[in-house]
Amino acid sequence: MNHIKTTGMLAGMLLAATALSPAMAADMTMERALKADSEPGNWILHAQNYEGHRFSRLKEITAENAKNLKLAYTVALGGYQSGGRYPHGNLEGTPLVDDGIAYVTDGWGSVYAVDASANKRGSRVIWKMDPGTDRAWAGDVACCGVNNRGVALWKDKIVSIALDGRLFLIEKKTGEMLWEAKVAEPAVGETITLAPLVIRDVAITGSAGGEFGIRGWYDAVDLNTGKQKWRTFMIPGPGEPGHESWKGGGNRWKHGGASAWVTPTFDSTLNLIYAGVGNPGPDWDPDYRPGDNKWASSVVAMNPDDGKIKWGFQYTPNDPYDFDEISEHPIVRMKINGQDRTVMTHAARNGFYYSLDAANGSFITGKQYVDKLTWSTGLDPKTGMPLEYDPKKDVQDYIASMTPRRSRPTTDVKCPTTSGGKNWQPTAFNPDLNIMYIPSAEGCNKLTLVVQKDWEDEPGGTVKPRDRFTGGGGVNQGRIEGSVKGVDPLTGEMKVKTAYRYPNWAGLMATAGNLIVTGWPDGEFVAYDAKTLQEVYTYSTGCGINAPPVTYTVAGKQYIGLLVGSIQKAAILQDSPELKNSATCSMFYAWAL
Amino acid sequence: MKKLYGFMFAAAAAFALTVSSASAQTPAPTESAADLREIEYGKDIFKTKANCQFCHKWDGSGDQGYGGNALPLRTTELTLEQFVETVKCGRIGTGMPYHDRFAYNDKRCYDTTREELGNDTPPIANEYLQPREIAAVAKYVFARQKGRGVKGSYEDCLDFWGKESKQCEQFK
Ligand code: HEC
Repeated sequence: MNHIKTTGMLAGMLLAATALSPAMAADMTMERALKADSEPGNWILHAQNYEGHRFSRLKEITAENAKNLKLAYTVALGGYQSGGRYPHGNLEGTPLVDDGIAYVTDGWGSVYAVDASANKRGSRVIWKMDPGTDRAWAGDVACCGVNNRGVALWKDKIVSIALDGRLFLIEKKTGEMLWEAKVAEPAVGETITLAPLVIRDVAITGSAGGEFGIRGWYDAVDLNTGKQKWRTFMIPGPGEPGHESWKGGGNRWKHGGASAWVTPTFDSTLNLIYAGVGNPGPDWDPDYRPGDNKWASSVVAMNPDDGKIKWGFQYTPNDPYDFDEISEHPIVRMKINGQDRTVMTHAARNGFYYSLDAANGSFITGKQYVDKLTWSTGLDPKTGMPLEYDPKKDVQDYIASMTPRRSRPTTDVKCPTTSGGKNWQPTAFNPDLNIMYIPSAEGCNKLTLVVQKDWEDEPGGTVKPRDRFTGGGGVNQGRIEGSVKGVDPLTGEMKVKTAYRYPNWAGLMATAGNLIVTGWPDGEFVAYDAKTLQEVYTYSTGCGINAPPVTYTVAGKQYIGLLVGSIQKAAILQDSPELKNSATCSMFYAWAL
Repeated sequence: MKKLYGFMFAAAAAFALTVSSASAQTPAPTESAADLREIEYGKDIFKTKANCQFCHKWDGSGDQGYGGNALPLRTTELTLEQFVETVKCGRIGTGMPYHDRFAYNDKRCYDTTREELGNDTPPIANEYLQPREIAAVAKYVFARQKGRGVKGSYEDCLDFWGKESKQCEQFK
C-alpha cells in the first residue's frame, strides 16, 4: 500500500541528515509540541495543542479593545479549480504559524508559505508546493467538497496531504517536496482531507469515503522512512471484537464506511489518541446492515505507537442518520469530587454533548446542545446510550417516525439535519472560564431510504468501487441556522449562547483576551466577548468563510488570521436566496489592533 | 402541492417517447458543426456550471446521497420540452433544484409560488441558467446520455473527463 518515491540521491541524503542532526531552535520537536501552550506567539499544532483546545494565551487583543481591530493584510491563494463532482475547491484549513510564517493549504492540496509580518511589501507568498492532484479522479469520490484541513510541522519539514490519497514531506524553508507516500486509494473510494497528526516521528492520517463503501482506517507513516508503521481499520475484521456487530451477511463489514477525516486529539499522559469515526454505510438503509456496526459513529482511543485500540464508545449504534462522529474530542483535565480526572469531551453530530473518562471510555454525562433534537428523547444517564436504544434489536428504530426503514422509507421532519448539530467545525475551550464553545447548526431534514444494492464482491451484487453507497438521500426542511453555544465541559450545561442567521461552518478559536472568534457563510468575520457572546468586532470579508481562525505574533504584535473562501452549499442556499450571488474566493486574511 | 407534482409526473409518463435504442458511440453523422458546438457547451454546463453531475453522476445514470435520490437521465421518459421545464422549475417536494432565476417568484412554474409551496419549494440551483444554456444542457443529455444504455461507457468517460485523469480506468 505504501511506497516511497524519493527525488533521487539528494533526498536520500537529506533524509539521512535530518534523522541524525539535532533539532534546531526553530525545528519542530515533540518537546515543543507537548508545550505548545507555552509559545502562544506560534500556532504549531492543528488544534493549537494536542488536547484540541484551540485556545491562545495571547491577550494583546481583548474583548474590550477588539472594536479597534483593523484588517492588516490579505493574500490571494489559488486552488479554486473545478474537479470531479465539484465546480470549486474550498478552504477549510487551519493555518499553522511558526516564526512569522504561516503555512496554509488550499482544497487541492497546494501548500503555501505566507510571510505573516506587518510591513512586508509586495508578494507575501514565499513558496507554493502544488502536488498536482488528479482532480477528476479524487474529486469524483469526495463526498462533501474539495477540502484539505491543513499541515503539520516535523523537524524542519512540513507534512501535508492531498485529496488523491498522498502524504508529502516538504522542506520548510524552500517548499521542495522530498518524498510522497501513497496512503489512501481513490480507486476504492478513499480520499484524505484531514490535517496529519504528528506524534514523535509518525504522521497519522485517515481515510474519508464513508459514502463510497470504503472500510475506514487510521494509518501511521514513519516520517524517517516514508513507510507505513501501522494501520488500524475502524471496522473490526473476522475474529476481532466488534466484528459480530455487522450482520446481514455478504461483505457488509468490508464496505461499511467508518471513515476518518478529522485530526484526532492526543493525551500524552495516557499516551492515547482520541479518533472520531464516521457513519456506517450505506448511510440511510440500516436494514442493510443489522447490528450495532462498530466502530461507526463512535470514538476510539488508540495507542499512537502501534495503533492498538484501547477502548471505544459508540454514540449512535446502527446509526440510520449519517451521524458521522469524526469531529474533535477535546481533552480537559479537571477535578471531579476532589479527584483528578482526564475527561474526553465531544459535541456530537447527533446533537448531544458528551463527557467520558479519557482513560477507559466510561460515560460521565451527556446533554442535548442543539435547539431541536427529535430522533431520541435523551441519553441513559448510566450508559450514555440513546434512551430508545434496544440492545436486543438488530436494527434500531430510535423514534420510529424519524428513522428510515424499509417498511417506511420516508421519515418525518427530523432534527438535527444529516450534517448534524455540529459537523467537523471545531469547538474551542477556554480553561480560564471553564467553558467549551460549540459552533452549531440548527435545522431539520427528511430522509428517504432507497434499498441498497449489494457489492460486486457479493453473490449477484452490482455495486462497484467508487459508486455512491448511501441507501437513499435527504432533503432539508426550511432554513438552516446556526449558533455558538458555551457549555460546561463536564456536564454540557448551557452557560451562554448566541444565534446567527446561518449555520457555523468555520469552527471557533478562544483566547485569553476573552474572545471567541469565528467566520460565517455570509463572509462575516466576528469576534465575540467570551463571557456574553456579544459581538465586539465584525468585518465583512465579502466571501464565505469555512475555516477556523488562529492567532499568532510577529515582532511582538498579535494577529488573528484565517482562510476565507468557500462555495455556498445547497444546504444553506435553500431558503437563503440572499447568498445566491456571492462568489467563491481563495484568500488569507489577518487582523491586528 | 403533492397533488400537482403527481399530475406532472403522470403527464410526463403519458407523453413519453419510447426510449430510443440508438447506442452509437460516435456522434451520428447528422450532427452538424453547430450541433456539436451546442452539445459541448451543454456538457460543460452539465459538468461544471450547473454541476448536474454532482447529483445525477457524470454519465447521468442517476445517484443517491447528499444530492437526494436523483433519477437517471439516461432512461428518462420526459420529452425535450418536459426536460427543459424540469431544469427551469426543478421538481416540487424533491431535491431537484430550479434554474430559472424567477421561478416561484411569479406563477411561471407549475402555476404556483414559493409562498404556496413552503418547504416543498425545490432547492435553488448553484447557478441560474439562461434559456440558451438550458437548451444546450438538454441537447447534451439527449444526444450523449439518453437511450445509450443505463451507464456510461469507457468512451463516454473519456469524452466527459478527458484522457489526463485516472478517472476512466475503472470503465475499461
Ligand atoms: C442537488 C441535486 C441535483 C442537481 C444539481 C440536479 N438535479 Fe436533477 N434531479 C435531482 C433529483 C433528486 C431528482 C429526482 C426528482 C424526483 O424524485 O422526481 C432530479 C430529477 C431530474 C429530472 C427528472 C428526470 C425524470 O425522468 O423525471 C431531470 C430531467 C433532471 N433532474 C435534470 C437535471 C439537470 C439537467 C441538471 C443540471 C442542470 C440537474 N438535474 C441538476 C437532483 C439534482
